[in-house]
Amino acid sequence: MTKVNRNSYFYRNWPYYAMLVLPLAYFITFKYLPIYGVTVAFKEYNVFKGIGASEWVGLDVFKHIFSMESFYTALRNTFLLNGLDLIVGFPAPIVLALLLNEARFALFKRISQTMLYLPHFISWVIIGGMVYQVFATNYGVLNLLFAQVGLGPFPFLSDKNHWLVTYVSVGVWQSAGWGSIIYLAAMTGINRELYEAADVDGASRLRRIWHITLPGIRTTIIVLLILKIGDMADIGFDRPYIIGNVMVREYSDVLSTFIYRIGLQSGQFSNATAVGLFQAVVGLVFILSANYISKKTTDESIL
Amino acid sequence: MNMKALRKSGVSMIVLALTAGLTFGCSGGGNNGATPAGSAKTAGEATGTQSNAPKERVKLRVEVFDRGNAPDGISITNSQMTQYVQKNFGDPNNIDVEFVPVPRSEEINQLNVLMAAGTAPDVIFTYNTGAAYNWAKQGGLMDLTEVLDQNGPNLKRYLESSLKYGVFEGKQYSIVARRVNLQKYSSFIRQDWLDAVGLPIPTTTEETYETLKAFKEKNLGGKRTIPLGFALAPDSYEPIIWSFIKEQSDEDRYLKSVTIGSREYPILADGHKDGMRFLNKLYQEGLLDPDFALDKDKKKKDENFVNGYTGLYSADTGTTFGGEASVANTLEKNVSGAQIVPFLPWTDFEGKNRQPAYTPSGMHIMVPSFSERAVEAIKYLDWMAQDEVIRYMAFGEEGVHHELVEGYPVRNGSDEDTRLLFNTGDVLIITNGIDFGSIDKNVEFMALGVSDNHREMAKTSRIYADKDAVQQPIQFDKPLDSEAKHSVIMLEKYEELLVKSTMAKPADFDKVYDAALKDFLDTAGNEVIAERTAAYEAMKK
Amino acid sequence: MVRRSRFTLADGMIVGVISVCVIACLAPFLHIAAVSLSSSGPITSGKVTLYPVGLSFDAYTRVLSDLAMLRSLGFTVLLTAAFTALAMLMTTMAAYPLSKADLKGRSVFMYVIVFTMFFSGGLIPEYLLIKELNLLDKAAVLVLPGLISPFYMIIMITFFRSTIPASLHEAAEIDGCGKFGILLRIVLPLSLPVLATLSLFYAVGRWNGFRDALFYISNQNLYPLQLKLYQMVMNNLISEVTLAEGAAVKELIPESLKAASIMFATLPILIVYPWLQRYFVSGLTLGSVKG
Repeated sequence: MTKVNRNSYFYRNWPYYAMLVLPLAYFITFKYLPIYGVTVAFKEYNVFKGIGASEWVGLDVFKHIFSMESFYTALRNTFLLNGLDLIVGFPAPIVLALLLNEARFALFKRISQTMLYLPHFISWVIIGGMVYQVFATNYGVLNLLFAQVGLGPFPFLSDKNHWLVTYVSVGVWQSAGWGSIIYLAAMTGINRELYEAADVDGASRLRRIWHITLPGIRTTIIVLLILKIGDMADIGFDRPYIIGNVMVREYSDVLSTFIYRIGLQSGQFSNATAVGLFQAVVGLVFILSANYISKKTTDESIL
Repeated sequence: MNMKALRKSGVSMIVLALTAGLTFGCSGGGNNGATPAGSAKTAGEATGTQSNAPKERVKLRVEVFDRGNAPDGISITNSQMTQYVQKNFGDPNNIDVEFVPVPRSEEINQLNVLMAAGTAPDVIFTYNTGAAYNWAKQGGLMDLTEVLDQNGPNLKRYLESSLKYGVFEGKQYSIVARRVNLQKYSSFIRQDWLDAVGLPIPTTTEETYETLKAFKEKNLGGKRTIPLGFALAPDSYEPIIWSFIKEQSDEDRYLKSVTIGSREYPILADGHKDGMRFLNKLYQEGLLDPDFALDKDKKKKDENFVNGYTGLYSADTGTTFGGEASVANTLEKNVSGAQIVPFLPWTDFEGKNRQPAYTPSGMHIMVPSFSERAVEAIKYLDWMAQDEVIRYMAFGEEGVHHELVEGYPVRNGSDEDTRLLFNTGDVLIITNGIDFGSIDKNVEFMALGVSDNHREMAKTSRIYADKDAVQQPIQFDKPLDSEAKHSVIMLEKYEELLVKSTMAKPADFDKVYDAALKDFLDTAGNEVIAERTAAYEAMKK
Repeated sequence: MVRRSRFTLADGMIVGVISVCVIACLAPFLHIAAVSLSSSGPITSGKVTLYPVGLSFDAYTRVLSDLAMLRSLGFTVLLTAAFTALAMLMTTMAAYPLSKADLKGRSVFMYVIVFTMFFSGGLIPEYLLIKELNLLDKAAVLVLPGLISPFYMIIMITFFRSTIPASLHEAAEIDGCGKFGILLRIVLPLSLPVLATLSLFYAVGRWNGFRDALFYISNQNLYPLQLKLYQMVMNNLISEVTLAEGAAVKELIPESLKAASIMFATLPILIVYPWLQRYFVSGLTLGSVKG
């Protein structure tokens, strides 16, 4: 075909593909070119020989990993902590956004919003120090308060079950405010007339939230939920690493801290890469299934 | 933004992407200048020419720690100190000395990457013996034996005893710096508390224990009294554990302990369990800080002490005293009538105060195998090993950066001083501490940095820290794979062992201790002990 | 929100709950502020909680007189602005075509992109790539490698699809608008809330990021603010190691100086935020006009 067909699909839609050129070039350059590094998981990696020249060892690295008990602990904890975050941490910003959306006094609202984002800007190193001051058994602020009403002391940091509560609440505290931004933005996209109509009908506040606001941010919620579920196998490093301690290691050691320990800290790059690869495969399976289920049940797909 | 602008920026993005694409594949290079490969070898073989400057000007890249503490307006890579090096070493030898900053807190991560990419400086250093072993094992370090013989006469003379710590499999892979002050830990007790309970300064473990109990009964520090300050840190547990160890022959120390990082843990030695049992007793009787396991950075331990909650406090030697804001001064300011006194709380089965001490070795200084500047690197260190250079790099000039006090140079804390010497220890890498010729003199000198009111006490505490002190026996001549590989995990498991058995119910102590020890051994311990045993057998032959 | 004028019990409860959350969020920040304004004695004794003890402005004087710090601030502002602009441009260029459900090859592109959310080559290959691209020690290395976050791209796609009706596209096309024209004149103006949100996310990510600089930048003139901050904070955390290094290091950074630097690095974002917030609101007004 040499003649340009003015009605051909590509003739009509070329601008879309033109737009995609640079983004795809970006992904190929910065994300795909270095990806050969995952082969390290199948090699006995010697940093001085380089990745290419290091010897292939097949699945030996994986065999080694799968024989480590601490690997399974880390895997279980990753799902445990992420699961708790999903149950408690995921709805928190939605609730907060709804509250803010319903709040009166524009100035109060704006000031509160700014304050609610503060924890997001404080580095984990600093949060770690403060967690200690707040939750310590003997002299933590929280336990001092409980002692005044004759309760406790609660071992928030030293008992593994209490520690889970601490872990989750610190997460909510740190990210709920920041997470609410995206929902608030979605709420501003909701048609004002719907609210006006509801007011005319004399609908109660709860009914308005239920019938207008929530449906208005439904897609945002679903997308973020899918992404969150897809991230079940992935876990941030700083929070478990910094809030965790020896006494609760049974729960606080997760894949990311495990990888850090054996990889960068001990220089066992092959082992670390193998765990990372395993985590990535599990993660991919998760997000694809979440997407599939969502497509089946709600007709919403993100991919 | 209109379409034109969009297109325009789009175009420049394409250009950018293309240039990026073009450069990719060409060697980035250009780090070591354009000298032909293999010149290190030839230079190394060229004997007797060390006094002549090379004809071509070359560049020597030297690591320097970046601690983010450079004074205003000074950069770590260009300061009075680097200029001094350039002028006195670089220019006469026709060498450009370039300092390459490595963030202190990420040094190993960063060095690993730089080594892998072949962009590491010609002179690298680290305190991390495990990393040095790893690099040596993988062939990433240059064998400096010959180069050192030919170009480092001063350096060899100066380092002497510490050099042997850098020999792996008969080859000098690492130039190991000297360590002058070997004292590790010092303990202090509140004299005013002793007076309050009417007891003398305890001199044995038993007496110390009774004293702690008396402190507890009287609640001398108020509701939050902590008779024994304790953190999950070596300065808290090492002095106690080591005082319980019964076997201390070199053979026992090779076969019944493991080395984690630079510390020796006598995990299988007779007495280790007794030490843990003692900690358990202290914990159960409320004599040590119940939140100790959370306090890994010792912040809380210090805080409790300066607020007057703590009776017995032990810390790394030299950290308790100092200027106005020292721990001791803060305590005295916060708590009226507070008085501390250095003492030796723990005695072993022979009644001695046996305690761990540092080996006389400091950091590992190495040259990567891909470097072409091994000769220049050794020449640089050799130049540094001259008395007047050491003196300048440590103290600057008299009247400007330091004053002579009782014959010792004491930095004067002026702006000039800070500007020249803010990172002296990171540039003057061949020694850790300055040697004035004898322990007494060194103690004398160290005390000059302490505020007048505590000077005598500072001296005493240092002398105490030397009493019956034992150093780790010299390491094996061959890197132990398992020890390097498992160092992080072993430390974690050891801490778990310590925490669990300290906090166990007394009736469960044996069970908990044995289970945790088994976990330690199964995870890594057995492998390490086996390798140590094999290495020891080989060494004996 | 213009609604009933009566202030009901429910309104009071909402204000109450939000206030409690605000206080919880504010407390640690107040703590840092208090430390930054206190003198060192009370700080080491742990006496500083939510208000300064032994008031002292020394730390701020030092931060503000440190030229390197100010230069770093200037550099970080420029860097963040450039990065955010380019990142938004690239993200939009990726998200807009991919928001078209009927775009041929769409799912392939999506998989190619989503794949990168899970698999990466690791630190060393990435470093080697940057070295090969000749980007080491250049400001561009802090911009290029992070231009598109697949996560934010998906959020943008969702927004395009859920809030901009397909009928609008058709109408515009009939009016003779090109694809670029539709994007610029119709889609983007209607998407201000999401553009503002994602810009904020990108900007904050860049502002707070330092790990890339840690590895790729050794020229101190190109240090972002957070890297300087990180080094200051970590400096004391590794005291254990520093001690083994002997008398070499006495210059520990005082806590108050660290706290003042944290305040210094965080305030700019807090100042910029309310300004960005306006765009959320303008998105709302536009939304009501569209009818």
